Amino acid sequence: MVPLTFFLKVTMRPTGIVALRALPQSKMRTALRYVPPTTLIGAIAYPLHHLSGNRAETVYDRKTFKSTADGVKNLFEWVTVKTIGKPRLYGALLKINTVYRGKAQSAVTSFPSAVMYGSGDFTITAVYLVNEEKLSKGPYTMKDLERAAWGITRLGSRESVVSVENVETGKAEISEASSAETSYAFPFKGFEVQGRGTLQSVVDWRSGIGDYSSAKRIVMFYPEGTVSVRGKLSVTTVGGETLVLAP
Amino acid sequence: MFLSVGVRFEANVEALNMVETAGNYSKHRRVPYLVEEDGKLKTVYVPALSGESLAHAYQEHLVREALGLGLSVCDDCRRNEFYKSMNKVHLKKKVNPIPDDPRDIEIAIVRSCVVEDVGGFLYAEKPPVRRSSAFQVSYALPVKSVALFATSEPQLHARHAQMDTSSKKGNASEQMIYYVETGTALYGFTFNLDLDAIGVSAITSEPILDENELKIRREAAMRALFRMLSSAQFGAKLSRFFPVGGITEVAVAVTEHPFVVTSPIYDDYIARTERRLKVLEGLGENYLFTVATGEKVPEEALKEAVDYLREQGAF
Repeated sequence: MVPLTFFLKVTMRPTGIVALRALPQSKMRTALRYVPPTTLIGAIAYPLHHLSGNRAETVYDRKTFKSTADGVKNLFEWVTVKTIGKPRLYGALLKINTVYRGKAQSAVTSFPSAVMYGSGDFTITAVYLVNEEKLSKGPYTMKDLERAAWGITRLGSRESVVSVENVETGKAEISEASSAETSYAFPFKGFEVQGRGTLQSVVDWRSGIGDYSSAKRIVMFYPEGTVSVRGKLSVTTVGGETLVLAP
Repeated sequence: MFLSVGVRFEANVEALNMVETAGNYSKHRRVPYLVEEDGKLKTVYVPALSGESLAHAYQEHLVREALGLGLSVCDDCRRNEFYKSMNKVHLKKKVNPIPDDPRDIEIAIVRSCVVEDVGGFLYAEKPPVRRSSAFQVSYALPVKSVALFATSEPQLHARHAQMDTSSKKGNASEQMIYYVETGTALYGFTFNLDLDAIGVSAITSEPILDENELKIRREAAMRALFRMLSSAQFGAKLSRFFPVGGITEVAVAVTEHPFVVTSPIYDDYIARTERRLKVLEGLGENYLFTVATGEKVPEEALKEAVDYLREQGAF
């Protein structure tokens, strides 16, 4: 008997801009082109907490602190994303004039964003595979997760507003395969890939959400369209689409 | 309660959001709009307003509304300088000595300033304390179906100054030309406001203020939005480049938990939002959805939302 797991498939429309910082606190704040898994967890954590009246954002434990999204990360076996339309990184130059210790100074910087705006359709589809055992032991139900999915408001910064256009739920079966065709991001590790896409280093969400200064990172492959993947794969199908999971 | 507003506004010859200056030329903020033609992608740059620009304007209105209702606003925010307790220097103006416990720091800031309560802050010292903004604003971008008609045009201006030989310095000329790039477009943006976040700790989830003050602060937050949209007081250079046009459409959704209207940059945003709200109804949630198009004016739709929130006990 192959285990089945709940999934949430959330289709979102951007409002044109998705601003996610790759390296916070750098002079030139490079933006990520694609949405990393940590952002997807944070995006659903906020409306999920809202349902239970939990307004907490930060958990302090002596001298360490984490995002409260860290508390819901274990509800998910896997999170990934499909992006239709290639985001373009763009940032206007900004001149910053400051007075520092009596001296006028001037600097030029930029806050680039991933622009998802054009005549074509840009959509972001996130898939969350739910760990039913963890869900059953916690305060939330599958219905809560579905409502939370409809309540995703932004991906990252407060300017990166999105609207959830569809939420699909169901059960998915995880199996082994030697090849698969997918449009969803997957960890780039020991696979042979045929097709176009972008490699992006992202924080491994399973190692914790909140403080990324020394967080473990993984390289994800974000396909442009559909790519063929070969290797020793763990795959699942959600709503007729194949996902390649972490090895 | 959660409020989400989609706004479409027409702005002709505006300089609402400027970015870099190159000599005597100041540029309007622009974003790339990708067009596919014969299988090839082409980029057209169209004028835009950043969410930060709109957020700044909203917070300016919040200062005025909060003061009008007798609520506390810190000295920095009163001057519309939204430093938001970013370091010890700014925090000491509110609480001195600074507490060691992040909870106490948050309580001190929220109690002393409505703007930092609603707009969030990041105290970047040890211990760091953050509070996410209860409101979110997208970029204002030209509506997609007419984005290619949006323009960014430089307008020539000349500065004249009469100078006699005694007041003339260096080679300063009596006339100086300069250019201001103006945008013309039908813009759309989304504004969200999480009323449940106001006055509640982002660390403990406990209310920081009594119920009465919570309600007054929520009302101030709503009034600030109403005032910002109704007066069209947002963006830069309003004194000489006040945009010709005004709000053309508003769609307002009020739900129990977070929900965002489909962005007004898409032509089908009202129909899609209605259909999506029907799904929420199926999940057992009450909502209000009202739109101002054609006959109804934006203020009427916003007032409906205010009345509904009052009925629901939000304020």
